[in-house]
Amino acid sequence: MRLFFRLVYRDINLVIKGASDTGAAILFYLLAIIMFPLSSGTDTNLLTTIAGGAIWMAALFASLLSLDRLFRSDFEDGSLEQIVLSGMSMEIIVLSKCLAHWLTNGLPIVLLSPILSLIMGLDYEYWWILAITLLIGTPSLTLIGATPAALSCAIGKGGVLTALVLLPLMLPVLILGSGAISAEISGLGGKGHLYALSAIFPISLLVSPFLASRSLRLGWE
Amino acid sequence: MKNIFNFLANPSRFRIFAKNVHPFSLIGMFIFIFIGLWFSLYNSPPDYQQGETVRIMYVHVPAAWMAMMVYLSMTIMSIFSLVWRHPLADILSKCSAPIGAMFTLIALVTGSIWGKPTWGTWWVWDARLTSVFILFLIYMGHIALVRAFEDEYKGARAGAILTLLGAFNLPIIKFSVDWWNTLHQPASVIKLDGPSIHIDMMVPLVLMAIGFLFFYFSFLLINVQTELNHRKLKKLFIKKLN
Repeated sequence: MRLFFRLVYRDINLVIKGASDTGAAILFYLLAIIMFPLSSGTDTNLLTTIAGGAIWMAALFASLLSLDRLFRSDFEDGSLEQIVLSGMSMEIIVLSKCLAHWLTNGLPIVLLSPILSLIMGLDYEYWWILAITLLIGTPSLTLIGATPAALSCAIGKGGVLTALVLLPLMLPVLILGSGAISAEISGLGGKGHLYALSAIFPISLLVSPFLASRSLRLGWE
Repeated sequence: MKNIFNFLANPSRFRIFAKNVHPFSLIGMFIFIFIGLWFSLYNSPPDYQQGETVRIMYVHVPAAWMAMMVYLSMTIMSIFSLVWRHPLADILSKCSAPIGAMFTLIALVTGSIWGKPTWGTWWVWDARLTSVFILFLIYMGHIALVRAFEDEYKGARAGAILTLLGAFNLPIIKFSVDWWNTLHQPASVIKLDGPSIHIDMMVPLVLMAIGFLFFYFSFLLINVQTELNHRKLKKLFIKKLN
């Protein structure tokens, strides 16, 4: 367990020191949200209706961008092999990577969301549902994305193919997350979407460490 | 049963098996699809509300069933390939993906054509349509991923992992019409308390479904033969080089 947290600490440290582009993904998140008012007009009513979806989409793309690098840099410079040789099980390593990724990518997205909902003109009484959906949804995004990220290491070239494989798998999270917000705004209540969304997290927590470590092993075979 | 699986595990034995079984499967496909088409186009009643457009159902519903069936069989074969490293399961899974993608596309297109006269719209973003569309995208991702690897063996394993990850979508598709309020009608054939569809429509539907199943087998066998020949050619080439 101590090793697990040291591994998480190491990855976060790397992000803070700028050795990884995970931090840039947050900047991309902000930029992508700014694109929405600039491209579809600054009409406040329109912005209010699309705000939840826009923020969710920006969050999805931000995690997509950084997920491609989840294992890549450690895989390429050999440090992942060293970590595996230390005797930790692969599944635990994958989980620690995912936790570090969520702390540096998902958590800032959640924390920034109340401010962004103000910018996008989302009514302030709905900021909590946006924050909750992101809080439940972003860990699922990270976990779902771990397997394709590991597969892209095995291929050696990632980029477009990772996105192609990853996006369909992430769509349910996006649908339920932004669906909860629009259902809440329309007065139907977003609880149903929220329950379904929170069901995805434990399932992906169970499945993805095994599949991701399988994929990483595939890269070394 | 186990002996049959062991016997067919050898790729070259399976190649001979595929060659011999393929004509029968092809004959079955032609017979069932022709009889099914005759029933569905001439010898079945028009719907009392939808009129003649209901005949689209006899292509749409079997295609949608097959889209899910093919993915289910790919999932089972992926478990075989990951757990027991079955050499043939990889190949079968890889060769199934394009056929499944095609069935999904047929289901989407015919559904869209059917939707225009009955719902008044080509497309709605309801749960059933969206989840089937996601299934199509997963198929396409699978096809792209498997072929991105230079090593066929690795590509097939990667495809198996992706298939298992995407399998969560199958129950969503099946139950989407029950869990959400959708424009798409709920299940009327495969459900717990028996089919609620009239026998005159049930007969052509089942015939077409069996025909589509034979279609899948025939094309799967062609694809597998091509793949096995391709691999054998590569081996022969390497032998010649040495």
